[in-house]
Amino acid sequence: MRILIVEDDGETAELIASGLAEEGHEIELAGDGLDGLARARRKTADLLIIDRMLPNLDGLSLVAKLRADRDETPVLFLTAMSRLHDRVTGLEAGGDDYLVKPFEFAELVARVAALGRRPRRMLVETTLKAADLELDLLTRRVRRAGREILLQPREFRILEYLVRNQNNTVTRTMLLENVWEYHFDPRTNIVESHLSRLRTKVDKGFTPELIHTIRGTGYCLRVHN
Amino acid sequence: MLFAAFFCAAVLLLFGITYIYATKYATQGEIAEIEVEFARMIEEARISQYAALPDMIAKRLRERGSEHSFYLLQDRFGHKLAGNMAAMPPIEGGVRLNRPDKDKKPYVVASGHTLENGDFLLIGEDLVLLEEMDAVLIRSFGVSIAATVLIALVCGLLISRNVLRRVASVSATSRSIIAGDMSTRIPLRGVDDEFDHLAKSVNDMLERIEDLMQHTQQVANDIAHDLRTPLTRLRQRLDRARRRDPADGAHHEVLDRSIEEVDAILNTFTALLRIAQIQAGGTVSSTNPVDLSQLLESISEDFVPAARDGGRSMHARIAPHLTVNGDRELLTQMVVNLLDNAILHSTPGAQITVTAQQIAGAPQIVIADTGQGIPREERAKVFRPFYRIEPSRQAEGSGLGLSLVAAIVNQHRASIRLEDNLPGLRVVVAFPS
Repeated sequence: MRILIVEDDGETAELIASGLAEEGHEIELAGDGLDGLARARRKTADLLIIDRMLPNLDGLSLVAKLRADRDETPVLFLTAMSRLHDRVTGLEAGGDDYLVKPFEFAELVARVAALGRRPRRMLVETTLKAADLELDLLTRRVRRAGREILLQPREFRILEYLVRNQNNTVTRTMLLENVWEYHFDPRTNIVESHLSRLRTKVDKGFTPELIHTIRGTGYCLRVHN
Repeated sequence: MLFAAFFCAAVLLLFGITYIYATKYATQGEIAEIEVEFARMIEEARISQYAALPDMIAKRLRERGSEHSFYLLQDRFGHKLAGNMAAMPPIEGGVRLNRPDKDKKPYVVASGHTLENGDFLLIGEDLVLLEEMDAVLIRSFGVSIAATVLIALVCGLLISRNVLRRVASVSATSRSIIAGDMSTRIPLRGVDDEFDHLAKSVNDMLERIEDLMQHTQQVANDIAHDLRTPLTRLRQRLDRARRRDPADGAHHEVLDRSIEEVDAILNTFTALLRIAQIQAGGTVSSTNPVDLSQLLESISEDFVPAARDGGRSMHARIAPHLTVNGDRELLTQMVVNLLDNAILHSTPGAQITVTAQQIAGAPQIVIADTGQGIPREERAKVFRPFYRIEPSRQAEGSGLGLSLVAAIVNQHRASIRLEDNLPGLRVVVAFPS
């Protein structure tokens, strides 16, 4: 992917840029809001990573301007301080995801991958597929190899998220935010307990194994084509 | 009331003293007059060597009548010689006597002296006028006192009602300040009286307290913010070093542990700042109705698998249609924190229950566990930031979990109390109706 990073803190910018480059992405850098806006308008990037606090033009305003110009490039916001409703205002301004510094690099990589998959135009799907797994989004029912699997509502949502992000690592935080809408970290590991039950229902008795644990990072629904 | 009583007592005292002095003065005046008469009679009788005295007495009694004038002449042996009084032991000077006809009032003021020839002469006057003056005085005093009492009562009532009203207004303002509304002030009446001065002083004090609080808040926020930045960098560098290091490198363990420590510090700061934000009323946009029943059902269900994995059982009994006004995100965090605690401070085999119902028109949540509980003397303290029951215990989390809960509870104007679940802990959160 071609990624534009708009970040005024040199060290952070260098860190992210070098890390993502190692993952195989093409990186462009901008050090302030106006420069960032100019580069973004050239529409050469597949993804924008924008720090909220920038000199000359702050991140929120930058994205608002892009959205006003009907630019739908996915945007990931970075911020050093998370006030109670910063996330909401960021997403309302047109951002697609939100990360608070400091973050695990693996978290950034996973979210970048998830955003990169986002199709340019939002298609309304009624079914999701992964290998021999089929999710009917209308009836909320799941079949694998033709056999129905009974899932709890929460389990269905987890599976849906995994399938939408198939072959990408999905971190615990991403699951908490998207499936549970918890924007904090509970000390009890509800993600793990749900995932282990889900994995039993979805993978046990079936081949191949679809749901994998990526140690230290999260989970992945892997489909080998 | 007290004031009126005090006032009356003072007035009574005043009147009492006046009365006593008035009568005393009148009496003395009367006696003086009698002495004058006495001297005149003696002068007149001396010519006859006092032999004319009985006739003089008889004459006077005839002229004046024996109703109000009294005379007594007796010899040295105490035998009555003349007059309309009974013989008595001689006296010298002024005296007050009862009337001879005891069934009539008033008493008699008299003066008596022993004469040169050994006889004893006593002249007396009853104090009709004095008694009448007495009666008038008492009557007027009586009316005055009654009037005074009435006025004092009415005034007292008016004043105290006014005072009470001002005091009640101060009380009400104080209560709302204690409840957390630092912006209220005591209303001034604009009459520039003592109460207004008092109110103004208290308002100035409140202003200062509010300023100090905001200043302290700001200082804490600035500290946390300033320390977050270098810590963030530190973590980023450690993260990068870890990534660049092959998994079996010697430094991997050290890096992992270091990152853990830095994360712990950062979590503490985040929690501190979050508490500060909540306390500062950062929940601006959010007094929306929240479906509490649905929120609790959903969270309880989420925790069941994790609880079971840890060998604890979890049950929920939630009454439907419970709503509160507030912030959904904060309420979620509050419930999750309390459930986290219930699981953390219990052992496998423990039971955790979540119940919610409407009590006296207000929703109430109870989260109970059969774990280790909190000793009674610790219960008030556990909401303090960083407070830990056993300081030696390896700290899990930032020690701010309950502080956060307390801040959220306050922000929703709810109350929280900790009770003994016999065994274990019962947490009761009661919302306002």
